[in-house]
Amino acid sequence: MAEQPVIELLELTKSFSSGAFVQNRSFALGPVSITVNSGEVVGILGESGSGKSTVANVIMRLTGFDEGSYHFRGADVRAFTKADSFAFKSKVQIIFQDPYGSLNPRATVGASIREALILHKRHLSRAQMDARVRELLAEVGLGSEDPGRYPHEFSGGQRQRIAIARALAVEPEVLVCDEPLSSLDVSIQAQVLELFKSLIEHRNLTMVFISHDLNVSRLLCDRVYVMHKGKVVEKGIAQEVLTNPQHDYTRQLLEAVY
Amino acid sequence: MMTAPAPEMTTETDPAMTPLLDLSDVTIALRQNDRKMVTGVSLSVMPREVFGIVGESGSGKTLFTRTVFGLHEDTYLAGGTVRFNGRALPLNGYRRAIKKMLGKEIGYIPQDPYSSLNPSMRVGRQLTEALYLSKGYPMRSQKAQDAAVALLAEVGIPEPELAFRQYPDQFSGGMRQRIVIAIALSQDPELMIADEPTTALDAFTQRRIMDLILERSRTRGLAVLLISHNLELLRQSVDRLGVLYGGQLLNVAATADIGAREIHPYTQALFDCVPGRDKRLADIASIPGEPVGAGFGTTGCAFAGRCAFAQDICRSAPLVTNTDRGTGFSACVLGKGARHG
Ligand SMILES: Nc1ncnc2c1ncn2[C@@H]1O[C@H](COP(=O)(O)OP(=O)(O)OP(=O)(O)O)[C@@H](O)[C@H]1O
Ligand SMILES: Nc1ncnc2c1ncn2[C@@H]1O[C@H](COP(=O)(O)OP(=O)(O)OP(=O)(O)O)[C@@H](O)[C@H]1O
Ligand code: SF4
Ligand SMILES: [Mg+2]
Ligand SMILES: [Mg+2]
Repeated sequence: MAEQPVIELLELTKSFSSGAFVQNRSFALGPVSITVNSGEVVGILGESGSGKSTVANVIMRLTGFDEGSYHFRGADVRAFTKADSFAFKSKVQIIFQDPYGSLNPRATVGASIREALILHKRHLSRAQMDARVRELLAEVGLGSEDPGRYPHEFSGGQRQRIAIARALAVEPEVLVCDEPLSSLDVSIQAQVLELFKSLIEHRNLTMVFISHDLNVSRLLCDRVYVMHKGKVVEKGIAQEVLTNPQHDYTRQLLEAVY
Repeated sequence: MMTAPAPEMTTETDPAMTPLLDLSDVTIALRQNDRKMVTGVSLSVMPREVFGIVGESGSGKTLFTRTVFGLHEDTYLAGGTVRFNGRALPLNGYRRAIKKMLGKEIGYIPQDPYSSLNPSMRVGRQLTEALYLSKGYPMRSQKAQDAAVALLAEVGIPEPELAFRQYPDQFSGGMRQRIVIAIALSQDPELMIADEPTTALDAFTQRRIMDLILERSRTRGLAVLLISHNLELLRQSVDRLGVLYGGQLLNVAATADIGAREIHPYTQALFDCVPGRDKRLADIASIPGEPVGAGFGTTGCAFAGRCAFAQDICRSAPLVTNTDRGTGFSACVLGKGARHG
């Protein structure tokens, strides 16, 4: 029998309600159906404004949805209890598209990561936590003196890596990445990709990988969904979709790559 | 596409021409501890030139540009000279002097575009304000509105009239990035500094934005200082490329030379890493060894620890700084990638 999907969005829709003064843009997500199985890396591709981050926010339960359903490991998220929600938060982590905005500017990097550890890994001693912080930073190529520094003292790519380290701190089962590698150069990208690969292999990490980088998506993802104007226009095995796309839109997207 | 040809418009820049931006032996230090992070950078951006800056994460690209353009709170210009249009700016009161030009002669697209938009102000207002400050268009005038809406359309925002009246958080990440670009373009500067302007954008939008910037360069003579880690994008878009490593400017190469003749060993190593279409994860080459962050200093070549050609002299010789204008330059002590004759 097939294992239950980790994430299952079925015919899900979401539209943005109109503001008080302005009629909103006609954007509506869906209906979309997206399934993510355990241990799988599922890519979501598509041009800017196609709805990728909206899907990520729905998956993270940071925003609601209108129609359709969302099941997490078989449970309807709309029926979650408080305890369910707390458990969900420690199992599912996100790396936001805007890494700077997601870091507290007044907390040192070490403190930010420790905060996540305190919430979800309470059994660790202070010394163990500090060691874990350094280990996490080292895994993304940052140095031992870095925990004491503040976010603004880091470069764009370094901040992006801090956000990755923090998301990994609680050893999530599911990691949603919204453009996680966009400001990294190839050699650091390779290092972070290796890290993701090893977590996928050794810890059965499940990933939702939103990226405009089609080369990287081809390397990392098992399956991909291609979105256009809020809808899924093509889905399938990453290798196949990204080497032999069936849909015109996907083809054009591939051709535009530098 | 990986196989696309290098740009045709490689300007053999005229050395006699006055550079628009001319940096000579610029050193940048942290206020906190006077640590010299970027050392001995000399480069010239010629009028109309599209000049790229590349370097690994942490090499000092943002620190360098933000300091040179008066935007960094934590650093100062510790040495060297900066000339804009032939006029030298004073080291004392440098920040004030250069800041006066921002938003007018000089436009800036920051690396974290999100934080440069005011979340509580409608997008249209932010654009008309920029148009007022740079061009004196009255803020509520039809002229300002039309110009703002046209700019939003140019950067590919759907339904620009509607977008004009919306707030930043009603847009996707890539749309916000494009709104920041629209604001910078609205100022019609002589020099545009763009720090990773297309990072979080999909392939279509990336091309669209680059085409727009390059078109401005061709039609209105905009000069561009473009920071990017996308080597293929740089190769196809810029005339010359400055390569930063460990806070040293190791190389200024004409993009036409890349792949065509010997270039600086570090630049070569960077371009050797570009993942091709059919590469697998294991094939993504990275340069062996640990990258050196900004602040390496002026003794020895910062790349010596990872360079396949390194010899003892590479570690002890003083940093070679750029002397020529508008052509190429290699800081390699062994003369690799230097233009001879
Ligand atoms: N305000 C600061 N205080 C102390 N160190 C800083 C500060 N800003 C940057 N640095 C350090 O200086 C180095 C260069 O940073 P910079 O932001 O210039 O890198 P970058 O080349 O732009 O990298 P990226 O590609 O990741 O954006 C980094 O190691 C960074 O940690
Ligand atoms: N809070 C909001 N109010 C109104 N519209 C919104 C809101 N958030 C997003 N949208 C709209 O929804 C659409 C999809 O946005 P989303 O952020 O999901 O795009 P995306 O695919 O992540 O794009 P990008 O690649 O640029 O990040 C856009 O048209 C955006 O303007
Ligand atoms: S100076 Fe030496 S270490 Fe530096 S690039 Fe040249 S050969 Fe390599
Ligand atoms: Mg997004
Ligand atoms: Mg930077």
